[in-house]
Amino acid sequence: MYPFRRRIARSQVDTIRGVPHHDAAVNKRHLLAFTLLPLLLAAAVLVAVGVGAVPVSPTALVRLLLPKLGIGSLPVPAERDVTILLLLRFPRVVAAMLVGSSLAVCGVVMQGLFRNPMASPEILGLSAGGSLGAVVAITTGIAAGSLFAVPILTIAGAMLSAVCISLLSSSRGTTSLLYIVIAGMALSSLFSGLTSALLLFSREYQVSQFVFWTMGGLDGRSWQHILYSAPVLVPGMVALSLFARELNLFTLGEEQAMSLGMHVETIKRVLLAIAAVVTGVAIAVCGPIGFVGLLIPHLFRFLVGPDHRVLLPASALGGALFLVLCDLLGRALLPPLEIRVGIITAILGSPYLLSLIIRIQRRNAVRTG
Amino acid sequence: MSPVFLQAKSLTWSVGNARIVERLDLSIERGELVGVIGPNGAGKTTLLRLLAGLLVPTEGEVLLEGRHINGMESRSRARRISFMTQDLSQVFPFTVMEILLMGRYPHLGRFQKEGAEDLARARRMLSYVGLSAIEERGFSALSSGERQLVLFAKALVQDTDALLLDEPSSNLDIHHQDRIFSMAQELAREGRAVVTSVHNLSVAAQYCSRLVLLEKGRIAADGRPEQVLQSEILDGVYGIRTMVSPSLATGSLTVTVVPRDRGAAGIRVHLIGGAGSAVNLTRELYRMGCVLTGGIAHEYDSDEKLWKSLGVRCAAVGAFSRITEEQIRESTPFVEQADMTILCSFPVGSGNLGNLRLASLARRLVVLRPGPEEMPRTFLSQEGKELFEQACAGAQLLDHDAILSDLEQARDKAAAP
Repeated sequence: MYPFRRRIARSQVDTIRGVPHHDAAVNKRHLLAFTLLPLLLAAAVLVAVGVGAVPVSPTALVRLLLPKLGIGSLPVPAERDVTILLLLRFPRVVAAMLVGSSLAVCGVVMQGLFRNPMASPEILGLSAGGSLGAVVAITTGIAAGSLFAVPILTIAGAMLSAVCISLLSSSRGTTSLLYIVIAGMALSSLFSGLTSALLLFSREYQVSQFVFWTMGGLDGRSWQHILYSAPVLVPGMVALSLFARELNLFTLGEEQAMSLGMHVETIKRVLLAIAAVVTGVAIAVCGPIGFVGLLIPHLFRFLVGPDHRVLLPASALGGALFLVLCDLLGRALLPPLEIRVGIITAILGSPYLLSLIIRIQRRNAVRTG
Repeated sequence: MSPVFLQAKSLTWSVGNARIVERLDLSIERGELVGVIGPNGAGKTTLLRLLAGLLVPTEGEVLLEGRHINGMESRSRARRISFMTQDLSQVFPFTVMEILLMGRYPHLGRFQKEGAEDLARARRMLSYVGLSAIEERGFSALSSGERQLVLFAKALVQDTDALLLDEPSSNLDIHHQDRIFSMAQELAREGRAVVTSVHNLSVAAQYCSRLVLLEKGRIAADGRPEQVLQSEILDGVYGIRTMVSPSLATGSLTVTVVPRDRGAAGIRVHLIGGAGSAVNLTRELYRMGCVLTGGIAHEYDSDEKLWKSLGVRCAAVGAFSRITEEQIRESTPFVEQADMTILCSFPVGSGNLGNLRLASLARRLVVLRPGPEEMPRTFLSQEGKELFEQACAGAQLLDHDAILSDLEQARDKAAAP
């Protein structure tokens, strides 16, 4: 159909002879994302459930779970270990995995959507909205009455942010991405201000309760937390992953995405809405844990490439792995004291963010110089 | 009769009160390579976006083979029309191949993976634009010219009947510019319709089969390059003085900008030259904005060719023929009306003796150095030398710079109230 057949044939020889090949690169990334990462995560889970005030053998969880799936008959662990595993450590690790995955996936989606490697769920003002909800629950005393008060109001706060943003930014018919970022920043400031104002009028123990909440922690997470969050988080992440190819097109710019036949406006709103709900629920489970949504997408874009069809699942696994390890670190570092997971992620995340900024500046200097 | 392939009907697009494209009618058929030209802000990019269905017109409509483009399902539209943007930015480390495969999006099912055929097509297009060995290189690590070529290849990977290219060669060297436009010509010859915005008018003239000149969102001219690229049309639209001349080598039109009139209009100068002796002064005085006349020249002499291309009124006789008394009479008004007649330093033979007679009739004659006493001037006959001396009798003798400063003073005096 196109001329220059001869030139084409010659170049196909070129690609076979030593020039890096697309399929080979893709296969390598798939191996890393879909074989290595699940294995690492499984190993991390086994170690994480074993470490604590009472050490439990890493194989205990396997011995406990496999017979329940009808595989083999291994010696059952001691009664005490079973209780520790099933009621304390395993739900905590599962919560870490769920939250880690959710924040990482939302981070990937935000960065792709905004074509901005610095974007994260915080950009939308979701964290600030969630915090406002939490502080309302705590200062009004509802939190003392029900376990569900903080989560529900946190979700409500995050949703409020998302609704405000979509109302603000779609008033002109099209949702300009830059406009959304600015709206998110403005909302963040507003909600943080309101949060501070509420704290001003609240009692000291409420303030410390809130401050404790904002550190983000996984201690005392039970099956109840997982029961209300997993039915939102898992389908939410799956839904976001279905738009992997559209996210790829978003990185070309909205104009090109549209010229390739994508429903840019609709998909943008759907993605924003799902990301808002998922982030809100994740924050409700364990407080605002920073940097997961920023750091993990970057790390895995570096490891498996920017194609969202690989990057999204890889970041989900990687985010889970990262938070399980951070929580493990917090428990193992200064026993019997537990360092809250939000503190660990912040301490690990900030230097990474700084190195990222320096690297980007250097790259720009090379480009312009 | 089959409907027009791509048609804009009374197309209008406005932002607030500003009308970027206004009541524009345009019909494009398969096989055409249409260049959209016009000054910055004339609405070129907006017109392309409207034609690609990326914007919804404020008024009017765009039809693809009679069907409303904005009513089409977006993926089926994307299988018919591709659009190449000027936006070359990419913050994430996608490889060239990954970028190219994105061009297959409208052809693939919701969860369908790109197959071997898609990959082969992407490779073919990459080598077609001459970049076969870079498929696994990072797109953002490429030079802007290479990125432009990759995006062009991506538009080809999309495999559409209509291609809309927004400044496809703005970052390319002349080699790749030639390549991209030659490929556009080939695509048109295959029966596709290619519409491209171009800033470089000479490039537009060389490759496009048709040019559409936009001015403030309206069509100022539409037709073959030689119909659109005319100084009378361009000067008004771009607000400058242009010179359109066919290239000596290829015959395609070249548009050159003539430096701005510096306000010496009204000062009339007649140049008597020959054998290229008036070339430098002609250029200087033209730039200064003097009203020039020239002659009597011999045809195909380099002075005469320059005068003609600049549109300087001049008298000329056939090459190597003798200037007759009648021709001197006809040219006399030039030298009588000129504020200054300049006798350039040309060799005098038998053919151009008449020019020395003409010089002696001038209202004010300036002889370009060297003068009669300084004798590198060549005279083939004694008669020529005598005539030259006669002509110089009442004349000023000035060198090149002195002539220019004399005219500049005259200009400044004329400009002062």
